Amino acid sequence: MDDIAVSFRHVSMAFPGVLANDDVSLDIRKGEVFALVGENGAGKSTLMNVLYGINAPTDGQVFINDREVTEFSPRTAIGMGVGMVHQHFMLVPSFTVAQNIVMSREPRRWRVFFDNAAAERQTRHLVEEFGLEVEADLPVEELSVGLQQRVEILKTLFRGAEILILDEPTAVLTPQETDELFSVIRRVVRERNMTVIIITHKLYEVMAISDRVGVMRKGKLVGVRDTAQVDEKLLASMMVGRPMLYDHLEKTGVPGREMICVRDLVVRDNRGLVAVNGLSLSVRAGEVLGIAAIEGNGQSELIEAITGMRRPESGSVTLDGRDATGLSPGQIRAMGLAHVPEDRLATGVSRDATVADNLLTGKQRQRRFNRFGFHQRTSTIERYAQELYEKFDIRGAGTDVTVGSMSGGNMQKVVIAREFSFDTPILIISQPTRGVDVGAIEFIHSHIIDRRNHGCAILLSSADLDEVFRLSDRIITLYEGRITGEFTGTFSKEEIGYRMTGSRKDKEAAS
Amino acid sequence: MMERLKKRRWGYLLSLVLSVLLAFAIGALILLAAGFDPIRAYGAMIGGAFSNARHVGDFLEYAMVLCLTGLACVLGSRVGIFNVGGEGQLLLGAVVSCQVGVWLNGLSPWLVIPAAALAAMVTGGLYALLPGFLKVKVKVNEVITTIMLNTIAASLCQFLAKGPWKNANKNMVAATERLDPRYWFKTLISGSSLSTAIIAAVVITFLTWYIMQKTSLGFEMKLTGQNPRFAFFSGISTDRLVIVCIVVSGAMCGLVGMFRVYGVEHLYRSSISNQYYFEGLTVAMIARYDPVTVIGLSFFFAILKIGAQGMELSAGVPNQIYLIIQTVIIFFMAAENGIFTSLRTGAMRRRARADIRRKEEQEHV
Repeated sequence: MDDIAVSFRHVSMAFPGVLANDDVSLDIRKGEVFALVGENGAGKSTLMNVLYGINAPTDGQVFINDREVTEFSPRTAIGMGVGMVHQHFMLVPSFTVAQNIVMSREPRRWRVFFDNAAAERQTRHLVEEFGLEVEADLPVEELSVGLQQRVEILKTLFRGAEILILDEPTAVLTPQETDELFSVIRRVVRERNMTVIIITHKLYEVMAISDRVGVMRKGKLVGVRDTAQVDEKLLASMMVGRPMLYDHLEKTGVPGREMICVRDLVVRDNRGLVAVNGLSLSVRAGEVLGIAAIEGNGQSELIEAITGMRRPESGSVTLDGRDATGLSPGQIRAMGLAHVPEDRLATGVSRDATVADNLLTGKQRQRRFNRFGFHQRTSTIERYAQELYEKFDIRGAGTDVTVGSMSGGNMQKVVIAREFSFDTPILIISQPTRGVDVGAIEFIHSHIIDRRNHGCAILLSSADLDEVFRLSDRIITLYEGRITGEFTGTFSKEEIGYRMTGSRKDKEAAS
Repeated sequence: MMERLKKRRWGYLLSLVLSVLLAFAIGALILLAAGFDPIRAYGAMIGGAFSNARHVGDFLEYAMVLCLTGLACVLGSRVGIFNVGGEGQLLLGAVVSCQVGVWLNGLSPWLVIPAAALAAMVTGGLYALLPGFLKVKVKVNEVITTIMLNTIAASLCQFLAKGPWKNANKNMVAATERLDPRYWFKTLISGSSLSTAIIAAVVITFLTWYIMQKTSLGFEMKLTGQNPRFAFFSGISTDRLVIVCIVVSGAMCGLVGMFRVYGVEHLYRSSISNQYYFEGLTVAMIARYDPVTVIGLSFFFAILKIGAQGMELSAGVPNQIYLIIQTVIIFFMAAENGIFTSLRTGAMRRRARADIRRKEEQEHV
């Protein structure tokens, strides 16, 4: 038994209204990379939160290195050798790498004063020991996302973690950064005999990194396999409970007139730095233009400038032949544009409003929803919301609950349902399926292509490259606010990956 | 839809009632400790409000003030701003509307009263425009600016009442000229403060409730308060809406000032408002910014306050016990959220655990 690092025995976890973990029993061996996959809401994160002590299970027992966990708190979990790197990093941006790493266990001088030199010394020692290169004295906010993640990993190692939980670690990484992360994982496993549990959506990553894989569905653990004995198709079918096929999407029609035209656009980000640097693009009716870029290369600011959420510094935006530069979202929407924003919680919904209210938003002034032009017709609104709810296959407790109580995937469907129902000739879509489960992805994709086939001009930006490849007629790559490549027809993923990280090929040729 | 909302409503009402009972219980302990008979004191308190028509009129007038100021606060909170400056807006509305009545002395009441009401609303509204504008354009926190503006307004009004607009009577300091009786609002219950202003108040209350709860404009206000970025993204001119709401909130406060002058005091002096806006704000907070609850609670607290004054006279108990009870209610209502949530999740967990056990037993059988 002593080669078992973590053992879940009949663990159940109930939240109000849902059974997030249903009688899960699972052993994770020492020194293995264990991948935990499943659709959204399958209970992966819940199970790991139990292990990390964030939630106490409703029922069942958890053993870490054969010791039963009696008190569920992150402090106890850390004490027992568990470390967790969350999807959203828990770092203080203005602190240095060293300060972040030693936080909560700071070296002190005379027991009172923070000893920065010692902190940096300890950090460098740690860096050398594990071979995870990072500058100890740089503020974290100046690091790339990949390096920030590395700091998170070092933080857990500093606290003596032997079991490392990574919650969707590659969601924010470039392909190159993902490769580096994987080599780091392999190194800590090989050299330190660490146990790594990785939660992910991406099945090819499971194949690439893990020794064993556990599949969860609706709170239950439906199977544990040796990775060598499965393939992506089998895993996908285990996840959704039926053979998962990505159908061929039927794209019809020819591009029509130019609907979105961006000329020499310059946009600054929140820090006042130039995020979009003299960019020009155009999208025609019946065409999907995909943006392939790593987060933070200007795609967010570009879309915000087109949709009126951010004022451009210079340049112009023309929608269907009319100037839309610097107008408000309300004015731009009136010109025939709908927008699925990248961050649904911050921008796409009102969490405290009901599903019905969220579906109505933007149409609240329409005649059919108002008597005398101001008195809301509650029953018409209710009926309309119910219609959209069913049409877009939103699954929850009805249209009268607050959106904040729904899962991320269903929240996204609310956003999609609302924006698509404006039936506009122009659609701007950011991250259409972020955090959405496989079944819903297919649904959303077919809706996007349906709009395209009906002559809608679509600008699509997604961190999921496969999604961009699948939906786009044309793809542009952005790097530091400029277009670094444009692709139509056949292209290789690698080529686009290189273009996304700047014209690396050119640099290599130059040196 | 209604069912679920009702459920939440009942939960709120239950905790409100519990908080009130607890507050009275704690008040009783304090009374006991101080050597009073709590039953007699509370009897005198409730009786005090209803003992004669004059008291009924007084608490109705006070309920009106609480209701209008409370709704003014709700109006701001609907779009996500916390107007703490109602007191200043109220005072300025009072002094300016009073002076308008003095200036226009001799003209028909049909002209003077609307002019005074308009002046009060414009003054209160403009005084609220400043923090609203600063909030929208320069992102200055409105809580700080409105608190500061309260102090300025109070001093300014005092200055006007002592200086340029002071009455001719040498014995009366810090008060404006008394209005001609033909401009006074008719008193509805003789000897009490209740005047015809309450008719206007009922209309305003209804309109405020209607706009916030039933119209597309109210819908946009709600969205703006819940998530301004989302509201802006969906095409609502959130900046304009925020400014309109804080200005209307200020105008309502100004109007309350005018009601106090024309209905009760008939001249301006600082006793026109004894931190009434803050009492209304407290009501709004206890009501969780729900307009209907604000209306109900206004009556409740008005009865308590006027009753406490009666209790002091008849039973000799200091009326500060009212403040203690009010504060304790606020305390419990603030704590309620956390207490009830933890109780509720605890119950759900137990239920879930029982479900699991039952399922297991069935499987074993």
